Amino acid sequence: MIRLENIYKRFEDTYVLNDVSVDFEKGKCNLIIGSSGSGKTVLMKAMVGLLDIDRGSICYDDRDFVKMSPPEKQDLRKEMGMLFQGGALFDSLNIEENVMFPLNMFSRESYSRKKNLVDSSLERVGLRDVNRKMPAELSGGMKKRVAIARAIVLSPNYLFCDEPNSGLDPKTAIKIDALIKEITLDYNITTVVNSHDMNSVLEIGDKVIYIYQGGKCWEGTKEDVLHTDNEALNNFVFATSMAKQLKNS
Amino acid sequence: MLKALANIGKYIVLLKNIFSRPEKASIYYRQTLRELENHGIGSIWIIVVISVFVGAAITIQTNFNIENPWLPRYIVGVTVRDSLLLEFSSTMVGLMIAGKSGSSIASEIGMMRVTEQIDALEVMGINPAAFLILPKIIAMVLFMPVLCAVSVAVGLLGGYLVCLIGDVIPVSDYIYGIQYIFYPYYLSYAMFKAAVYGFIIATVAGFYGYHVQGGAIQVGKASTRAVVISSVMILFTNLVITNIILH
Repeated sequence: MIRLENIYKRFEDTYVLNDVSVDFEKGKCNLIIGSSGSGKTVLMKAMVGLLDIDRGSICYDDRDFVKMSPPEKQDLRKEMGMLFQGGALFDSLNIEENVMFPLNMFSRESYSRKKNLVDSSLERVGLRDVNRKMPAELSGGMKKRVAIARAIVLSPNYLFCDEPNSGLDPKTAIKIDALIKEITLDYNITTVVNSHDMNSVLEIGDKVIYIYQGGKCWEGTKEDVLHTDNEALNNFVFATSMAKQLKNS
Repeated sequence: MLKALANIGKYIVLLKNIFSRPEKASIYYRQTLRELENHGIGSIWIIVVISVFVGAAITIQTNFNIENPWLPRYIVGVTVRDSLLLEFSSTMVGLMIAGKSGSSIASEIGMMRVTEQIDALEVMGINPAAFLILPKIIAMVLFMPVLCAVSVAVGLLGGYLVCLIGDVIPVSDYIYGIQYIFYPYYLSYAMFKAAVYGFIIATVAGFYGYHVQGGAIQVGKASTRAVVISSVMILFTNLVITNIILH
């Protein structure tokens, strides 16, 4: 479980995170939703330590990440996997080398064992015969799959996905969502997904947190999202006039 | 002024991160070999081409400026050798590599920054500054003296060829001159300067690439800034080292 308590973060005079407290549960897909600029990416970056917070605590199974020394943080990060918006695959490495990269850095396994782990990770995300290809040769959806394979190859305890569906067509997006959900259940890990895609929310949102103007505005399940009377959330979920008519009918 | 001081502070912090304990030495070793190939071996041809012309031109110009009948002709060889050793080869190689490898390092690391590859390394628990920049520093510091030595040798060959083909001075005088009262110390001085320039190029270019914010335009600007700043730093360091060692 990941517990955030009273998180504050400001850039110059503007608070982008304002007293955010939330628990992300193990074995569940925890979705952070909100419009662009609401602070959800800053929150995720703060959780993985890419941004320092001004106040508050971030606890990974009772281990306070904020108070850790840099080497301790580095150790904890070995338990994290992250899927970035653009995939963030290393351009100079082929697919196999990309997925094997964390193993090469942190594992003392033999090459054949590492190769097996890479192949099974790629198979887990539904990719075959791409080992020798370069990232530039893959489609957006395939890149995301490779990035997921790289994120899970070290069997992480925590998986972070920043806008996993951005730039994907709806059909591919649903496949990526389903994959994230399956991995969360199979590995029994704590998954946190940043999204503003309502399909994702309704598909995989075991727990949904709505961030509005830097603060936690609402929390519930995917079923609750459709029946809430929270005005800000309703304006976000039922943004189009057609959706608003459907909600009111 | 404040911005310059802030940049110096950021540069020092980056150096501290770069020289922290590597996660896995064998990976760094492999990366260093890759960088040696990219920035070292890949730069030899351009150094050879430029040095041969520079050596030839210095020979002609030196001869043109020494028209005193009391001075022996082999003085041209001595002057060409010492000019290349003391100044031309190390500084010229430094400026050339600042343009070629400096821009390449800054844009490579800058693109990794804007496409979140550096963030990905950090989230994996890897020190990105050390992983990306340290092998480049080692490769540059090791290979710059080699490039400098190649430049001296090829520059002298350029002088020889222009004497042979262009009949500037008798070849025998030129060969006698380049061997006349040779101080091996000059060679180590040139090698030392080249190694320092290698350090400057890798760290300055790495610094500008690592701190890129934005997109492709900012990467381009960082690349240009890396070349300009490392060139100025090379010329300034040249003055300081020359003043300390040869004054």
